[in-house]
Amino acid sequence: MFQDKDPIKFKDYQLEDFLTDEFFIQWVKNPNENTTHFWEKWIDANAHKKEVVMQAATFIRSIDYQEKHLMKNEIYLEVFEKIIRGDLKQVAQKKNPLILFSWNSIFSLRNIAAIFILTFCGWIFYTVAFEKPIAKEDPIQWITKINTAGIKTVLTLEDGSRIHLNSSSKITYPNRFSDSIRSVVLEGEAFFDVAEESRPFIVDLGKAQIEVLGTSFNASKSSEEKLEVALISGKVKVNDHKGNQVMLLPSEMLTIAEDGEFQKSKFDSLEITGWKDKNLVFKNADFPTVKSKIENWFDVEVKLSGRLRKNWAYTGNFHDETLINVLEGIKHTSEIKYRINGKKVELYN
Amino acid sequence: MSINPRKSNEPTHITLHSQEIVRIFESKSDCEIWAAFNKGDEMAFNYLYRVYAPILYQYGFQFSRDSSLIQDSIQNIFIYLRSKRGELSEVANIKGYLYRSIQREIIKNLKASTKREQINSDALENSFQIEISPETSFIQSETNSLRRTKLQNGIDQLTCKQRKALLLFYQEELSYNEIAQIMDFKEVKTARKLIYRAITSLKEFIKPAR
Repeated sequence: MFQDKDPIKFKDYQLEDFLTDEFFIQWVKNPNENTTHFWEKWIDANAHKKEVVMQAATFIRSIDYQEKHLMKNEIYLEVFEKIIRGDLKQVAQKKNPLILFSWNSIFSLRNIAAIFILTFCGWIFYTVAFEKPIAKEDPIQWITKINTAGIKTVLTLEDGSRIHLNSSSKITYPNRFSDSIRSVVLEGEAFFDVAEESRPFIVDLGKAQIEVLGTSFNASKSSEEKLEVALISGKVKVNDHKGNQVMLLPSEMLTIAEDGEFQKSKFDSLEITGWKDKNLVFKNADFPTVKSKIENWFDVEVKLSGRLRKNWAYTGNFHDETLINVLEGIKHTSEIKYRINGKKVELYN
Repeated sequence: MSINPRKSNEPTHITLHSQEIVRIFESKSDCEIWAAFNKGDEMAFNYLYRVYAPILYQYGFQFSRDSSLIQDSIQNIFIYLRSKRGELSEVANIKGYLYRSIQREIIKNLKASTKREQINSDALENSFQIEISPETSFIQSETNSLRRTKLQNGIDQLTCKQRKALLLFYQEELSYNEIAQIMDFKEVKTARKLIYRAITSLKEFIKPAR
């Protein structure tokens, strides 16, 4: 670009010549080895030009916008999220496949048989506007299925994949998938049994995405934006919007904290996936966890009267039990008693 | 509500920091970064967004004061670009390319929401205001301070086009070629002339009074 770097060329340069010279400006604004070497040498050899060079450089550096508009972090993230989502919607509706996921090459189709679990510390949804995308010429329809507390359902998607949708959860999926991708949007928790095929299956959780080719997994999303992915077998990839990417191996669980930090650990599969087979599992669970699990499982409101000792925790496993039996079980092994009044459960000691 | 105290045996912390991505791409040329993005490299997209979203936001305010319109415009161009991956043509200067895109997008959106004439004339006449930034300016003495005021006055006399060209040239470090494209000039020399004239008119304020 700057072919004529002949020092002679600049010999008679005046202020306006420096100010209109791209090579000079490049050195002032963004010096690199070459430009620095050139201009330092040139100034040494043309000492009488030093002052005008300095004036020009000062002027160039001083030009700035009068108004600064910094993109706030929330806006930065919000727009980013919308881009990723807009993208998913668009891809889901697009007829021509796009070359999207390099991980096609990372996993061979055969090796994938995975179970993921995402569990959240809360069950409240934050209401992200994720409306059904409008497909004008495309007949793809987006279907939203919502389970309130106490309700669990099983759905079968067009590709044969099955989804166990947990209580207090919502899933949005197309009536048929596009040629290139299978994507669904989840809030809350679900267990997926994904039919194995070449189109990637993507679960959009807002903050992160899970990608698989064919497998079983479980996913959810809460207001607190803490999420967990637990893998039983196979391999999966989790991407967050900051560009972080984590691969999971069987029996590994990924936790993404509210601040976006990733942590890998081991997990108990009964505790994590048990719900889909009607197992209500408490493992060293603190009171808020016990409360929210019971509330969601039985669609009741749980209240605690009195105080529990510090470090109170409950461990127990109930298979397809009634509310009374669960409460009886808790009563037997911990100091908590209960009263049931319609949809209200009072725990006390 | 807290999660079950499901303690791990040995937690492994995996965090691919953003700096990592920046480090990977900052040494690459615009052409290479764009090609990676076009191939579907999510890290390349991440890098593009990280580097260009904030400056597109700043630049966008020269056309509208409506923050949400600017956000939507940034969002739209990235969604569009992502949907066209695999078929994008080469881009030698990403900043220039994105500036052209955002300009077009914002003006399109403005036209959709307001009346045409408002955008073309008055609304943009006062945009691209320049400030001689104090920290780098020549003020050290009273004479210098006076000179700075004069220079600022001289700059305020420039036309909107001239100010825009100077900002693109000095602040944004774009080439004549890029500036010509952004400003819709048929020839690069039009950009050269525009800047040259602006500089000539400011020359006496830049030079120290002797």
